[in-house]
Amino acid sequence: MYKVISSDNAPSDSRAATTNWRRVLGLREMGVYYALALVVALLSVAAAYSGDVSYLSFQNLSNVLQQSSLMAIIAVAMTVILITGNFDLSVGSVAALSAAVMVGLADSIGFVPACLVAMLVAVGAGLLNGVIVQYLGINAFIVTLGTMTALRGVVLIVTDGRTVSVDNPRVIGAMRAFETGRWPIGTAVAVIGLLLAAVSLWMLLKARRGGRGVSPVAVGMGVCAACLLAMAWAGGQQLALPKIVIYMVAFSTVVWFVLSFTMVGRRVYAVGGNPEAARLSGINVVRYRLAAFVLCSAAAGFAGILFGSRLRSVNPAALTGAELTVIAAAILGGTSLFGGAGSVGKTVAGALLLFTLTNGFNILNLGVNYQGLLEGTVVVAAAAIYTVGGTRRRGK
Amino acid sequence: MTTSEEAPLLKLERVAKTFPNGTVALRGVDLSVERGKVHGLLGANGAGKSTLIKILSGAFAATGGRILWKGSVVECSSPKEALDMGVATIHQHIPIVPTLSVLENVFLGAKGGWRQTMASRKAFGDLCERVGYWLNPDSKVGDLSIGQRQMVAIFQALGSGAELIVMDEPTASLAMEEREVVYQTVRRLAGVEKKAILFVSHFLDEVISLTDCVTILRDGEAVMRAETCDLDEARIAEAIVGRQIVAMVRAEPKKLSDDAEVVLNIKNLCSPGKLSPVSLALRTGEVLGIAGLLGSGRTELLHAIFGADRHATGAVEVLGTPIARSTVAAVGAGIALVPEDRMGQGLIPGFEVWRNTTLPALGGVSWRNCLPVREREMQRANEAIERLKIKAQSPDVLVTELSGGNAQKVTIAKWLFGNVRVLLLDEPTAGIDIGAKTDILRLVRDLADAGMVVIIVSSELEELLAVSDRIVVMRDGKCVAERVGHETSEHELVLLAGGQVSGALGDDAGNGSMEHRAQSLS
Repeated sequence: MYKVISSDNAPSDSRAATTNWRRVLGLREMGVYYALALVVALLSVAAAYSGDVSYLSFQNLSNVLQQSSLMAIIAVAMTVILITGNFDLSVGSVAALSAAVMVGLADSIGFVPACLVAMLVAVGAGLLNGVIVQYLGINAFIVTLGTMTALRGVVLIVTDGRTVSVDNPRVIGAMRAFETGRWPIGTAVAVIGLLLAAVSLWMLLKARRGGRGVSPVAVGMGVCAACLLAMAWAGGQQLALPKIVIYMVAFSTVVWFVLSFTMVGRRVYAVGGNPEAARLSGINVVRYRLAAFVLCSAAAGFAGILFGSRLRSVNPAALTGAELTVIAAAILGGTSLFGGAGSVGKTVAGALLLFTLTNGFNILNLGVNYQGLLEGTVVVAAAAIYTVGGTRRRGK
Repeated sequence: MTTSEEAPLLKLERVAKTFPNGTVALRGVDLSVERGKVHGLLGANGAGKSTLIKILSGAFAATGGRILWKGSVVECSSPKEALDMGVATIHQHIPIVPTLSVLENVFLGAKGGWRQTMASRKAFGDLCERVGYWLNPDSKVGDLSIGQRQMVAIFQALGSGAELIVMDEPTASLAMEEREVVYQTVRRLAGVEKKAILFVSHFLDEVISLTDCVTILRDGEAVMRAETCDLDEARIAEAIVGRQIVAMVRAEPKKLSDDAEVVLNIKNLCSPGKLSPVSLALRTGEVLGIAGLLGSGRTELLHAIFGADRHATGAVEVLGTPIARSTVAAVGAGIALVPEDRMGQGLIPGFEVWRNTTLPALGGVSWRNCLPVREREMQRANEAIERLKIKAQSPDVLVTELSGGNAQKVTIAKWLFGNVRVLLLDEPTAGIDIGAKTDILRLVRDLADAGMVVIIVSSELEELLAVSDRIVVMRDGKCVAERVGHETSEHELVLLAGGQVSGALGDDAGNGSMEHRAQSLS
């Protein structure tokens, strides 16, 4: 031991953590929500001014939700893969392949078995990506660029380059039942709203008793609860959302819960934040990253099934470029391309933002030509805000 | 008023640096460097050396004081300006482009439209001539040894026509013969070319033999400036550390009974090309020190024990149960590794202290082994902060905002809460201040007294002697000797680790060579 004569080891003061509200509410953390609110506000004013439509109608908002759901489902899974520090460009092709397989087989073996086969194919594609990336150690960008092209080729082979469609009325009925139509959500919204309100209240009370500051999570839950309850009160039993939106919300909620509250989620962030440190902490990095690939492809496969069920036919070029929309949504949500940071809620908001823009252009008849320009600008601006707006990177 | 010829080439007057977050790195440093002289700059970690170098190289701006260059006040705001002025800095981690050739690297900052010209080739030849060291201009820098890369960096500095060359620990990662080349170059540059050289080093012997005068920094102040010939190593050491350390107290020789339980049993563990077969048995409460030079296989041994080396063969048993070759299995069996590179391998930079602390043993703070509970995690982090005296405002601080010593404490703290039976420490005290060092060494003894098995790798032999019951010396991937902690000495360990091969500094022989090795180890 050293003998230290002048020791300056003052006992460290471990004060209770105080919340930095300026950071929590700053552009970097909440920017995508602000942007979404701003765009919705601008569009509703513009629509009200032009006078022909009411933008803020439940009907139109649920349309935007419906349009964005397909991409949002994949984007949520993409967020997970990005958090683990990998990349998947093949999701568009995987979704198309899954749709083609499902539609192609549904007539002969029935809807549900066809879906199972399509999911198996998608999971297989994810395993293939993951095994090549993790066991051969090739960069994920290169591997999935390859599988993106190759799987698109498989789609062409499977469909023989033609549009395939479903003829059997029973299958068509099953597809309708699965994808089309709405579910009433009035009661569910009210129940969830009450639950959230209760949890938020409980957290606030506990914080007060413990003498700690109000946590942002509790406040966020409270705000959500208020919104949901207001919606339930206003819409009552007439509230109904398209099924695909329900699927999207359910999937996102599960992934959000796992990432935010479970040990698995913590480790996913650790794996992306510093793979070597995670490995030396006894985390099976390879397994987590492989699982992320499988999850991403499975989500793409599921989206493909939804897509096929909606159109009941698939052309071989379907969903081309979907991977870029999906990655754009994740980036809008502040997901880091270097791993270790990202959030499900913000990715969904990012997808909503992209489709709100599209929807707004259509509603206002602003001309489709400007759409790409504006969307691209928004993505770059978002990335600029995340990079310039703060130097601190957070886990979630 | 002095003319520019008589004034020192570079003169710092009360230069101070305070960072925006309030950290005071330099409190007012005076320094003057003259032409044709080698000026040594020394100081412990955190004394302000790196900050001073960064100010000189233009990476930081000073927040106080004046910098005089050839007698006139200058203000450098970018590395480019500093270079144009005539200050070239050779950083410790050599910033050269590994995919370009030697020639292209040397003239990387040069103007002109071509990748290489006959003129640059000729200039390169002249440089080699001046320095007396030849490199193939067309070989790719990525293929060179570290020593040769160091020479490329020196060429680069010379190629820019610099008058003052700042060398930040140029010999730290070099082998003996490569060091000799650097020494000769430095002497030649100062003696023949009349360049001024600011030589930063940790090795006292090379400072004594190489420099003309010395400035010693401590806590952001220059505490000593003297001609080297008036100094000896003891006085320099005293100035560097202040009067903090009186002596290193060795651990009481602990009587380990032969019937104590064998916790860790290593049988013929080896890794092709890195590690020759090693067999060790450690009993409960034992601290094993591993001595050896850089690259002697110390780190490789720890990684092999931890299952982090996929190519390793042989068996590792904890309490008689063989462990599969994976880090997951090792952690499950109660083995923990604190790696050498704490930011690169030990911590998750985006995580706060609390999330880093609880990562390896998340199950213990989770509800039904599934959902981590925030309160319990905070409690554990607070416990860690208290127990290891981590200087962090709260567990909510990001680990990247901690100082080196405190970050190191977090890498150790994260293992204190699981079922860890075997703790492997790889250079746990490298680059941290004396207070943190003492805390860590004391913790090692406490953990061993509580029954843990600790294997500690360190280049500081004094530390190894202070905490170890037994010391194994490694060389070239082999365990070459084993000594009982209180029966050996630094002297003996140095001889064992160096293998008594000669390779002395300058033309000193025998005794000098040995002392040099002692320094390169510590």
